[in-house]
Amino acid sequence: MAQHMSWEEARGILRKLREEQVRDGDLVVNLWEDVLLEASHKLGNELWNVYEQVCVAALDCQRLDVADTCIEALNAKFPGSVRVRRLEGMLLEAEGRYEQAREVYKAILDKDDANMFARKRLVAILKAQRKIPEAIEKLNEYLKKFMTDYEGWNELCDMYLSMHDYTNACFCMEELIMSNPHNHLYHQKYADIKYTYGGTDSMEIARTYYAQAVKLCPNNMRALYGLFLSATNLSMSSGKGAKERSANSKYAAWAADQIRIKYKVTKENELHWAQQPEQQMRETKVLESIEKLLESLQVTN
Amino acid sequence: MAELLLDSNIRVWVFLPIVVITFLIGIIRHYVTILLSSEKKSDLQQVADSHALIRSRVLRENGKYIPKQSFLMRKSFFNSDNHGFFKVEKRESQAKNPMTDPSMMTDMMKGNITNVLPMIVIGGWINWAFSGFLTTKVPFPLTLRFKPMLQRGIELVTLDASWVSSASWYFLNVFGLRSMYTLILGQDNAADQTRAMQDQMSASAMMAPPDPMKAFKAEWEALEVCGHDFILEGIEEELTGGIIQPETIYIKNKFA
Repeated sequence: MAQHMSWEEARGILRKLREEQVRDGDLVVNLWEDVLLEASHKLGNELWNVYEQVCVAALDCQRLDVADTCIEALNAKFPGSVRVRRLEGMLLEAEGRYEQAREVYKAILDKDDANMFARKRLVAILKAQRKIPEAIEKLNEYLKKFMTDYEGWNELCDMYLSMHDYTNACFCMEELIMSNPHNHLYHQKYADIKYTYGGTDSMEIARTYYAQAVKLCPNNMRALYGLFLSATNLSMSSGKGAKERSANSKYAAWAADQIRIKYKVTKENELHWAQQPEQQMRETKVLESIEKLLESLQVTN
Repeated sequence: MAELLLDSNIRVWVFLPIVVITFLIGIIRHYVTILLSSEKKSDLQQVADSHALIRSRVLRENGKYIPKQSFLMRKSFFNSDNHGFFKVEKRESQAKNPMTDPSMMTDMMKGNITNVLPMIVIGGWINWAFSGFLTTKVPFPLTLRFKPMLQRGIELVTLDASWVSSASWYFLNVFGLRSMYTLILGQDNAADQTRAMQDQMSASAMMAPPDPMKAFKAEWEALEVCGHDFILEGIEEELTGGIIQPETIYIKNKFA
């Protein structure tokens, strides 16, 4: 496809990817090799940005030869630049020479103490070496300095989750929720963690945040299922008053209704598309199990 | 009133040279600024402080979205009497006197060299070399109010206001070539004098360097009075109860 594209189009696409920070290494490298490589002299000053973008993309898809040429070109233009150093460090990382990469980043930090990028790469090296506890420690140290780096909080949350440390993961998720309280995925993930953590209190919080996620995005099926499951769980748990139990079964019934409506709508929309029989089977199964759970709810109350 | 006729030599020797000179000076300014500009290094401590302040502000604004316990935990991290961040961290005041800090002095010097000095020198030179000409006429009538703006250096009471004098033409160029510079030098160029002047004005307003201790104190106070009001309380009731989701209305109307 890319052969028929003009270089202006390719440049436009790369620019857009750069602005929106989309990570699509394959596309970038393909565009570079098929279209822009011959037209690179037409790019003017933008060429250097493109080199940097292509270099990172090439590292993402293990095209080390492409990355190497990019770095060479950049090095010739900006000798001694920190941004080029960091690309070299990333190339070393991609080759698996972590110790040398660490040296490079340490050198950058010696020169510029507040370089967020080099610090984050040091954490990434530890993660790549599967030293998760050390990476967590390092990232914590980093976040103590750069408290509003939400990318860092997100990463820390995932690392804690991989260590099954749900309390600390919750803490990170709370930071993310505060950073952007209108992102339903943050609410949903927080609820997921709380739901996994278990216990009545956590379950209640999970239900609340699933509800918030559904409110923010009515099409979030995972949050709907979460709301249904957490409400069901609470309505069946002992140690709660009858009033709360009935309230919870009401929420569960509502969520089940919503799920049913969603399925009905999609089915009607897809009626003229020939639907795969297995998928149909799976959907009926899901609906059946929801019915069953609801019935058992009504029995217990 | 008789129509004025300008000598075509004025066009060649006054009108065009002024355009070319101002334009070239803008370009030179751009490159000189690039040459002289020193890379600003941020101090790690300062960056960390500003991050902490931002985080505390976010907590005040969006703390209502997290459970009460989590909110109090963070509030105590910042504000607790014994080990709160804003209480424990001590920074010496960074109100540096620009006269004693040589790096600041050189920065100021550079700013002056690229901004103010050429302004005065070139302006004076243009005034001296090209003064007293009428250079062009704007193709629309103007009121008398515009006379001092467009006819600097030519005090003729009876002259039509749409004539432009050489000194005014220079100023029009200084302020009007901005889009040309963006076209040639790209978005963030240093050629534009008007922007430099704006920078200077805002710089004098923000001259007082931020004192972290003062900022900490203010943020501590703001956070101290900030209570927690869990906004998600009763969200399930709201969701399942009376309020109908917009999505559901749409679905019901279409398919029920």
